Amino acid sequence: MKLIRGTIVSVGEGGVYGERMLNGCRVWDPHRSKLPAAIINGAPLDLTADMRVLYLGAANGTTVSHVADYVETVYAVEFAPRPMQDLIEVARRRPNLVPIMGDANRPEVYGCFVEQVDMIYQDVAQPNQADILRKNLPFLKDGGIAVLMLKARSVDVRKKSEEVAEETCTALREMGLTIVWSGTLDPFHRDHTCMICTK
Amino acid sequence: MRSYWFGDIDNGVCTPAQGDEDRVLERCDTIRVKVDTGFVPVSVDEACDCGFFADREEYLARLRSVTIRDARRKIVAAFSEGDAELIQMVRMLDEIDEVVNLLTEKAVEWYLVRNPGFSRKYKSMSAKRMVGVMKKERGPLGRICAEIDGLSDQRSSLMQDVSKRTDAVMPNCSALVGGLVAARLMERAGGLSVLAGLPASTIQVLGAEGALFSHLRSGSPPPKHGIIFQHRRVHNAPRNVRGKVSRAVAGKLAIAAKIDYYRGELDPAFIERAQDRIDVVGEKE
Repeated sequence: MKLIRGTIVSVGEGGVYGERMLNGCRVWDPHRSKLPAAIINGAPLDLTADMRVLYLGAANGTTVSHVADYVETVYAVEFAPRPMQDLIEVARRRPNLVPIMGDANRPEVYGCFVEQVDMIYQDVAQPNQADILRKNLPFLKDGGIAVLMLKARSVDVRKKSEEVAEETCTALREMGLTIVWSGTLDPFHRDHTCMICTK
Repeated sequence: MRSYWFGDIDNGVCTPAQGDEDRVLERCDTIRVKVDTGFVPVSVDEACDCGFFADREEYLARLRSVTIRDARRKIVAAFSEGDAELIQMVRMLDEIDEVVNLLTEKAVEWYLVRNPGFSRKYKSMSAKRMVGVMKKERGPLGRICAEIDGLSDQRSSLMQDVSKRTDAVMPNCSALVGGLVAARLMERAGGLSVLAGLPASTIQVLGAEGALFSHLRSGSPPPKHGIIFQHRRVHNAPRNVRGKVSRAVAGKLAIAAKIDYYRGELDPAFIERAQDRIDVVGEKE
């Protein structure tokens, strides 16, 4: 990852969402985006220029735009129409970003658009987050990386964040993934756990 | 045979998808990839070997053009269902309410400073009338109060628009609990299709999420009603049967939403039966 004086940045066309620029690079704010928050908290994660990424839960394209700055190709899946309007606009200016309007729960529908990827990055506020990842694993090559941004509040409000994380870890192991790193996103995002797995 | 957006590949034999982008998308709509068993994702190299594309760059450009078109098409479809604009209208209505109240409050404070002898006590002056009085003040306060007045007129007319549109979009819910309450429920659910899929128990507490989650977390008493409390038969019901009435209303609403979404027209016989049932529940005890 590219750092300028301790700040995570990405190299690409700025002005996507009013992000600050530093020496001509786009500042990637850990308060706004979960990926840099995980990296600051010690996640062993690196985005490289030869990577192909399947991004589930792309929303407005804020984080996606930074990921696209780093990697070769991003397939960005988003379900809701309103954020999709913004995502299309971001994608129009980034030739390596493929926006797909579809439900991450139903990979059989958008499967005809997606190639094999080196990384799945998932950030969806749904109760069945582990299951969504399992359904999308066929797109991930062997040895590929799965990054799960687990939002405990969406899974079960009654349970503690740690409990949900533990259950999810078990579910991930059961689907054959090896968990390389797991940690919270405090103090940047509350009740979130980031899990990095390999297939 | 493996089917992808650009065509089929069967034992090395490539058949490209025919027609323009719209035809390609129509075909994509019918493709259901079996992701579980022996799934082979798209291979760009393979697609290029088939001669469909010169290189990866061309492949991506064409793919993006197709998926962007697909997304645009789906956005248009989602927004043209009539409930999308209704949601925005309801949100604007509730926001204007809030803004008018806040502005009026501030204006009254201002007015009191300019008129030290004035007090609202014992005058039973509604906010609306108070604004009417303050409008006559000279200078900036009067001008601002004229704006507040105009805004509350807008609010009234928007409310009528909301009712009218709700009658069209969800006639049965609207007939059962009135346009405004029906529209607010739909807004909270996030759309008519979502509302139609909700169980009655969820509809009953829509809008009381705070109380509901505090109940789930710490065992405080569960909420009896959310937005449906605004319906007169719920808030006018005697306290001891209010929960019961609320449950009956929610039950009938769940059915009404399904009729609205799947059939889309008013069912007077259903409405009559539903009203009777709710009235019976309210009279008990």
